[in-house]
Amino acid sequence: MQIKESKQGEVLILTISEHLDSATSAVFESKVLGLIERGERKMVIDCGSLEYVNSAGLKVFLLAAKRLEPLGGKLVLCALAPSVLMIFEMIGFSRIMRIVPSLDDALKALGGEAAPA
Amino acid sequence: MHEGSITVRVPVDLREIERLNKVVRQFGDLHEVPSRALYAINLALDEIVTNVVRYGFDDSAGKEIVAQVTAREDELMTVVSDPGRAFNPLDVAPPDLAAPLAERALGGLGIHLVRSLMDTIEYHRQNGKNVLTMRKRVR
Repeated sequence: MQIKESKQGEVLILTISEHLDSATSAVFESKVLGLIERGERKMVIDCGSLEYVNSAGLKVFLLAAKRLEPLGGKLVLCALAPSVLMIFEMIGFSRIMRIVPSLDDALKALGGEAAPA
Repeated sequence: MHEGSITVRVPVDLREIERLNKVVRQFGDLHEVPSRALYAINLALDEIVTNVVRYGFDDSAGKEIVAQVTAREDELMTVVSDPGRAFNPLDVAPPDLAAPLAERALGGLGIHLVRSLMDTIEYHRQNGKNVLTMRKRVR
């Protein structure tokens, strides 16, 4: 698993790649929760390079969304591969999280500007 | 899909699960298991083995989990057995998928995935071992 972090205006963009599983989810969890603690409220998690996620990883997305909601923040996920999207749908996350096709869509959903072409 | 079977002995360690998944992927490729079915088997194995590693033992030294995947003409059968404490994953209450975000529980996600991905799941406690048999039809 690899995590990259960038900022575009008020929006914090995390790019997560490869395998998010029981052995790696703790690192992802402390990263995401640390950012919320630091005051980030608009967060995109770009899953374009995420190949695999299990329930330990899914739990981190749920935890992040649950933490952000009462703070007036918002989490948007983008660019999920079909196999990963299927898992998010199976677990019912597509009902409670905003999932969009691209990073541009995610930035728009958070009221920011689309990334320069 | 070609018929065949593979048995993998897994030490009780979360880091071993990726190795298990690699071995199962190789088996799947060799036996021409459709990629969606292979993905489902690997995720289900991951969830079950993760649970056993996390909660199955007070002292896991020298213990191992045995995973067996069998490809038949139209079915994949996966059996996971472990000598850990008795645990029937089918007893876990399913998460309420209709609950609003604030009320969604953090637990039970893995077992729900396994139930969704597999066609049938059977649990037995035999000779001091948990034996979970999962079947997935493959056309």
